[in-house]
Amino acid sequence: MITNAGAANQLAWLGAGTAAMLLAAGMVAQSPAPVHAAVAVLGLMFLLRHDARLLLAPVYGAGLLLMEDLAVRTIELSGVGEIAPRVIVARVGATLAVAAVGACLSALAALAVTAAVPRSVLLTAVGALAAVAAFVAIVFFVRRRFGP
Amino acid sequence: MKRSLSPRTPGVLALAGAGLIAALATGRPELALIAVPFLVFGGAGLVLVPEPHVTASVEPGRLRVSEGEELTATVRVRNDGAEPVEVEVAPVRTGHLALAPASTVALRVDAQSETEAVFSVRPRRWGAHGIGPVAVRTRDALGLTTSEERLGTRIDLRAFPREERLRELVAPLRTQPFLGTHVARARADGIEFADIRPFVVGDRAREVNWRATARRGSLQVNQRHPEHSSDVVLLLDTFEEARDQDSGTLDSAVRTAASLARAHLARRDRVGVVDFGGTLHWLEPAFGTRQLYRIVDALLSSNIAFSYAWRKADSLPQRVLPPGALTLVISPLLDERSIALISELRTRGRDVAVVEVSPLDHVSAGPTAADAVAYELWRLQREALRARLQSLGIGVAVWEPGGTLGPALEEVNAFRRSSQPALRA
Repeated sequence: MITNAGAANQLAWLGAGTAAMLLAAGMVAQSPAPVHAAVAVLGLMFLLRHDARLLLAPVYGAGLLLMEDLAVRTIELSGVGEIAPRVIVARVGATLAVAAVGACLSALAALAVTAAVPRSVLLTAVGALAAVAAFVAIVFFVRRRFGP
Repeated sequence: MKRSLSPRTPGVLALAGAGLIAALATGRPELALIAVPFLVFGGAGLVLVPEPHVTASVEPGRLRVSEGEELTATVRVRNDGAEPVEVEVAPVRTGHLALAPASTVALRVDAQSETEAVFSVRPRRWGAHGIGPVAVRTRDALGLTTSEERLGTRIDLRAFPREERLRELVAPLRTQPFLGTHVARARADGIEFADIRPFVVGDRAREVNWRATARRGSLQVNQRHPEHSSDVVLLLDTFEEARDQDSGTLDSAVRTAASLARAHLARRDRVGVVDFGGTLHWLEPAFGTRQLYRIVDALLSSNIAFSYAWRKADSLPQRVLPPGALTLVISPLLDERSIALISELRTRGRDVAVVEVSPLDHVSAGPTAADAVAYELWRLQREALRARLQSLGIGVAVWEPGGTLGPALEEVNAFRRSSQPALRA
């Protein structure tokens, strides 16, 4: 953890600049990969904060999701000659709804984190297994639906 | 329609996974909390989105259009699924059709309903073109999965060549015994005054020229030239062409042939066409509007077919070149075989004129001095060739494709008037 406020501030600016450059690169190259790298950098930047991290993390995550969606949709639609107005409205509405649900679930998780459960190896193992199981379930579902 | 993951999906899932793993590795739950919205987004997109059931078709406003003229093509998309879908559509088309908008159109189609997108289509060149099927890309509401497919069928469009309105045409030396607009050399009933001769039994009283009768002391009658039609054969040279990126001499030659065919048919001439090149196609001379459409349809299939075959006038069926027909050769005069054919037709006594579609616009001198000299020599050779053809009694009109055809035809008429005795020999 960085305790020096000046160094943290500089690192935050550096991270923000890197993320902005990656976003710009994604727009120019018409590729979502740099956008995701920018989101990852901004996610890591959150660790630089010292205040109310658990409180802000759900909103921060939802904000990052909206930013990612906006950037990727911009890339997708840049090659389209004409866009019907309902397309934009529907897309933004769906993403806002999912981000809101995600933020709520994230807030619930934050509440669970703040619960005074004693830290133990067993609990950590359960948490790790749950995370891996969730990821494997998604991958399994995707493979079953879309093939290998 | 087969679905696949969109390029963003692995990124979203990787961000979610990386957040969870990083939270575990560092013991910082904030990273997991940040990852939760991504996890929800990915999970919802992949689990809840149903299979799309979309059909599409394209329907052009017209199937026949003039070159360069715009028409609308309507793309209809129907969603038979239970959820609204977002689709991007673009009709597939052949190379010479310009579309506006040039890329795809994004639409949202509600469940069990149909929507349409209107494209503007413009054929840049004459010919047979195709539009359709429709390239359709559907996305789910969150943009995590896409399906791409070509739906519908191809529809053929025929783009007729752009025609020039011609006031002057090459006057034929001989006419046919059918009513037309050309003043024949023969003497019979007509409008144009020809001569005066003594009255013979059977002459009509209204033909008596009373002034000449008074002057000569015996009955004199007027003789007139009748208005007859003529046979015109358009011989399109498709052995070779000069071409750059946008256009070539064949494009201009076909436009010229269509303009000449329309103008001659409008003057009640019988018009035929011969596509003389690597492959030989012909259409026998006939009258009327139907013949114009036949000719234009035949011209649309003209192309340069590479061939070593040396064709002579004997290759042409006799009925395609009727006796006394005016043969109008439309050629860039680039191939020895077509030049030999023109000379051969003339030496057989045919009435021949050449509209030379100038290839100079499509050819430029190279960068070196030697290239410039070669280019000038080539130009001089072409002038010598023209002089050789003219010495055979063949009128040659040089037509620059950017200009109008009328003055070039008038030039041929002037040449033919000045050398008529030689032509009739």
